[in-house]
Amino acid sequence: MSLRNFILGLSASFGLAWLLVVIVPFIKMRQLAPIPLSKELDGVSGVFYPKRGGRIINGAAVYGENGCYLCHTQLVRPTYAGNDLYRADWGGLAKDPERGDTRRETNAYDFEGEGFAQIGTTRMGPDLSNLTRRLEAAVAAKGSGSAEAMLYAHLYNPRRTPELRKSACPSYRYLFTRHEIKGQPSSDALPFGGGATTELVPSAEAKALVSYLLAMKKDQPAPAALNFAPPDDKAASR
Amino acid sequence: MSSAPSATALSDATLRAGIDRSLRHPVMFFLTSGAAWLAVSILLAIVASIKVHYPGFMDECPYASYGRVFPAHINTLIYGWGFQAAFGVVIWLMARMSRQQCRAAGTILTAGHVWNFGVLLGVLGILGGAGTGMPWMEFPRFVWPALVLSYFAIVVWSFIQFRVRDSDKSYIAQWYLLAAMIWFPWFFITANGLLHWSTGHPVMAAGINAWFRSAVVFLFFIPVALGAAYYLAPKLTGRPIPSLTLARLGFWSLAVVAPWAGMQKLAGAPLPVFLPYLGAAATALLAVPLATAAINILRTIFSTEEKLPKSPALHFTLAGLIGLLLLAVAAIALNLPGSSLQLTQFSIAGYGFDILAIYGCFSFIMFGAVYFIVPRITCREWLSSRLINMHFFFSAYGIVAIAFGALFGGFIQGSAQEAWLQPWETVTEVVRPYAAVSTFAWCVILFSNIFFFFHLALMWLRLGRRGATPTMLDSAAADLTATGPQAGH
Repeated sequence: MSLRNFILGLSASFGLAWLLVVIVPFIKMRQLAPIPLSKELDGVSGVFYPKRGGRIINGAAVYGENGCYLCHTQLVRPTYAGNDLYRADWGGLAKDPERGDTRRETNAYDFEGEGFAQIGTTRMGPDLSNLTRRLEAAVAAKGSGSAEAMLYAHLYNPRRTPELRKSACPSYRYLFTRHEIKGQPSSDALPFGGGATTELVPSAEAKALVSYLLAMKKDQPAPAALNFAPPDDKAASR
Repeated sequence: MSSAPSATALSDATLRAGIDRSLRHPVMFFLTSGAAWLAVSILLAIVASIKVHYPGFMDECPYASYGRVFPAHINTLIYGWGFQAAFGVVIWLMARMSRQQCRAAGTILTAGHVWNFGVLLGVLGILGGAGTGMPWMEFPRFVWPALVLSYFAIVVWSFIQFRVRDSDKSYIAQWYLLAAMIWFPWFFITANGLLHWSTGHPVMAAGINAWFRSAVVFLFFIPVALGAAYYLAPKLTGRPIPSLTLARLGFWSLAVVAPWAGMQKLAGAPLPVFLPYLGAAATALLAVPLATAAINILRTIFSTEEKLPKSPALHFTLAGLIGLLLLAVAAIALNLPGSSLQLTQFSIAGYGFDILAIYGCFSFIMFGAVYFIVPRITCREWLSSRLINMHFFFSAYGIVAIAFGALFGGFIQGSAQEAWLQPWETVTEVVRPYAAVSTFAWCVILFSNIFFFFHLALMWLRLGRRGATPTMLDSAAADLTATGPQAGH
């Protein structure tokens, strides 16, 4: 076989796959068509236009730089690909006080505003798609605290509470600074870790990360066109 | 392998010596700096692995955070050791098989320094907190153009040598090496260009990243390993490859199947559904090209009843081929949609699979090639068969422990993850014993590679043994092999 034919053969075999699994899907997914909402199925008309609050870009960068994606996923798989939806608090909350069962699978709009979806590689820790939903439920059950304070406490020392003493999560205490109180205490100071004259303050990176994590509430109702759960007896409530 | 020295044999020997001399500095540079990066990578692996079962270890230090050390470990393993070992072996093999001297040693050496500097900056970037957060592409985004440019400056000469070779024939080993040299820039520029310089959908970006990781293994490391094995096995045993048909089948089935693989890591993600399942099917099908090539080369080695030479290169190559067969089995076992795919998708089995491919198969064959090449280009023999034995056995025990621990542990972890009625905490606890096994195994591998690096550094300093007989793993065989196939290299 000549070198020319060899290169042609390689180009054909690689190029076909390259086009069909990389280039064409990449171009077609660049701009997803807006999803029209239907009056009878969704209750409202117009188009589905999800929004995410918080410092998504900065927070996602901190998330990536510190390797959170190595142990946490951001993917609630459909039931054909795994059992994630059956867990009571992964795809949403099974018993949300206001909305009932809010669980749903991850959709393509959940990563709006990010450059790279941190799907993750290994689940050493839990899925984070609805982390803040879980924290808010815990805060409601306890009657005190806030999801934000719990996130700061977890980042500073993941093994701080007895129920998490076996957590394998690394501490991110290097994202916090401790300094002396001069005059008024800082409004950002954390409720723990300070002394009589010192206080513990999250860095700009920690604030961005927590802002990003606070947006982890990926259980807004999906439009009927994206919602694959049976309408009455949701598969998720099995 | 002629027994009587004739005029052609002498001119052949002169030609080979000339090729070896022309490539001495670049090849030794790639192999020694690769071995040094390997030691760094294993050290980082130990730190990362300790942190899984003892998370408080060094947690004050941001540069030693698990989320930075682990990517640094994988990236040094791939770009520091893997690619540099491949460069050293590829440029030597291509020159030898095309029977052309290298006329650009200075350029290659300079490009090699650029590559190393790029890897160094990239690793410092990751540890300093400037990683990109994309698995296996964590180097800060200014690094990859430098890697691409130095890559072209390193391998383009091998293309030219192949183009201007005297004969019309080509060896199967050359197909694999040429293909790897063509595939690598294609998928590397595609993935880095689309992810760093273009904006697409974030989930598709993650899909391209998963495809890239698969391509690094199956379109670069595995073909380079197979190319080297197809060269070494006949050379070391003096026997021909038994089946050209099987060799062709193995090569073209890899070329046709491997580019589709990779996106199964995103099964269930909001991508077009055919992408992950096509990836799963392709990865399982990869068992065919892997097993075909491994069996063809193993048949070369075991084709006669004669006692095999106790050559270190043959030992390592053989172990790498067995690793390849295991990889073929694992490719099927991990990727059955509906059963094992969803079980192992987010488990440590993925890491076990990658390490089995990169260390258990690719690195072992590269070690074999290093033990074969270095005496020829330094004109010295290896100093000690004991050092080589230490390297072989500790590496083999270590990789067996890591690969089986992670693959088996991955199934255990995956079953715990899928047991949705159990609290999540049970999953974290299930993994710990396997992380402990992995820490111990990486320590064993580090121990083995200290011997390797030390031995290689002595050879690089031209402190090797002067003598006509190659170093064999049992000293009794040394006189036997002086007249054997190795003598005629």
